[in-house]
Amino acid sequence: MMRLLRVIRAQLRASLALALQYRLEFLVEGLLALLWMAVTLVPLLVVFGARGTVAGWSFAEMLVVLGWFVALKGVLEGTLSPSLMQVVEHVRKGTLDFVLLKPADAQLLVSLSKIEPWRVIDFAGAAVIFTYAFRQIGHAPSAADLLLSAALLLAAVLVLYSIAILVVSIAFVAVRVDNLLYLFQSVFDVARWPSSVFRGALAMIFTYVLPLALMTTYPALALLGKLNARTALGALLGAFVFAGLARLIWLSSIRRYTSASS
Amino acid sequence: MIEVEHLRKWYRVHRREPGLKAALRSLLHRPYEDVKAVEDISFSIGAGERVGFLGPNGAGKTTTLKVLAGLLHPTEGRVAVGGFLPQERAREFLTQITLVMGQKQQLLWDLPPSETFALNRAIYDIPRAQYEETVAELTALLELAPLLGKPTRQLSLGERMKCELAVALLHRPKVLFLDEPTIGLDVSMQATVRTFVRAYNERFSATVILTSHYMEDVAALCPRVMVIDKGRLIFDGALPDLIRRVRPDKRVLLRLSKPVEQRDLLPLGTIISQNDAEVIIQVSQEGLQASVARALSTLPLRDLTVEDPPLEEVMRDLFAQGNAA
Repeated sequence: MMRLLRVIRAQLRASLALALQYRLEFLVEGLLALLWMAVTLVPLLVVFGARGTVAGWSFAEMLVVLGWFVALKGVLEGTLSPSLMQVVEHVRKGTLDFVLLKPADAQLLVSLSKIEPWRVIDFAGAAVIFTYAFRQIGHAPSAADLLLSAALLLAAVLVLYSIAILVVSIAFVAVRVDNLLYLFQSVFDVARWPSSVFRGALAMIFTYVLPLALMTTYPALALLGKLNARTALGALLGAFVFAGLARLIWLSSIRRYTSASS
Repeated sequence: MIEVEHLRKWYRVHRREPGLKAALRSLLHRPYEDVKAVEDISFSIGAGERVGFLGPNGAGKTTTLKVLAGLLHPTEGRVAVGGFLPQERAREFLTQITLVMGQKQQLLWDLPPSETFALNRAIYDIPRAQYEETVAELTALLELAPLLGKPTRQLSLGERMKCELAVALLHRPKVLFLDEPTIGLDVSMQATVRTFVRAYNERFSATVILTSHYMEDVAALCPRVMVIDKGRLIFDGALPDLIRRVRPDKRVLLRLSKPVEQRDLLPLGTIISQNDAEVIIQVSQEGLQASVARALSTLPLRDLTVEDPPLEEVMRDLFAQGNAA
């Protein structure tokens, strides 16, 4: 266990050093992150310019969903995407061999191989959005709701991470999956809306196939004090099952992997 | 240390004809074909040995190396390295081996090598004191001091290879798999790498398995040579024996004090090259003594030497014959 933590620490240290290597990039990316956050607000303003509620959600409540979306997007684009793009590179160049020969879990080694620390700005942004939203609503969330919502956020990150691991597992079979990662990033955009906005087949897909609803809607409902305990428990359990499944598929992909050159 | 019995490794590859039509057809129907990369190889290597794998491109050298390292599962046969089944990649196994590939690198491209060192220290869980001792030793042997702080991307190929070797040996592995470690390096850097590998092997009694395209690597480093061709082991023994088997002839190099007629040279053997001052003659093993005696007594010699045929030529002949065994 101590060894595991030391590996994680060393991995994070190297990733951080990598990010700090380029000061200009650091600055530019930080500014870009701010800009994108502002852009994120636009569709919501457009929709609520015309009406007061959408699918039973008020503007302020919808902002809470958006807050979680911004935070999760930060996690996705700040840690998961860059690291997993590295795996795709490893597979393409055949350097995954080095990772597989390390006496540490390969999934752990690849999952933190590259981070973009300026994405912390997204969390600051999310905090601003939450503050504004709850000012509008008129009361702050209770401590219990905060706690539940944090637990659900954890579940959301787990699911997001598992999806990324699944995408990368495909990389072992089909070498070019960078497009798949981009596709996933665009599909993830759906999570900016509460799941009840979608009807019929789409609602099914976004709840069970790609559990995007679970990622932002549930933590938002929890924060608003509208999520019942059973759904919360179900979401948490589902997230763990999903992560376990992703792990199994990852392991079997590793077994099937044969290096790029013979 | 290493036991291999009847190793086979087949790859399943998707095969299609060239052209757009064939490409479209292959979307619906994919014919597969087995590529027999390694076809029934057996050998055993003792602890501390230095062994060279020789063979043309696609012969199965790297595949064999990767099976030994645990990166590929054998299709058939039994492989054991240090008592472990490599493909299980047990932690105890992985801490005893290392892999260096001349064409691929594990150093983090944008960071100085020292960062990759630190990362590997954590991954291999190397105690601080041992780590510092090893780094100091490697730094001295490979003259790394000025390199460790520079970003890897700013290092030359040779400098990078020295750092690659160092980072691969931080955990003091007992078995070294070196896949063309000198590829692309200039002659003096090749020599540095060879000297270093040899020093490591002697210092830690580590087993070294090397594949290389440069015959000099193998000649300088490996008392034992295995020749792999078309997935089969066609020779396993000492390099001089290999040369004798493939090319039993010798080369007699004559330095002349004055030009001689070609007809004076013909009785000695086959003339390979001739100019006024120097002649190279190919002579069979049996005829060597007579030829040398004749040359000494009949020609105006400044110097005479007997050599083996050049290694590159031996290899060319070996793979052209394809059935040296």
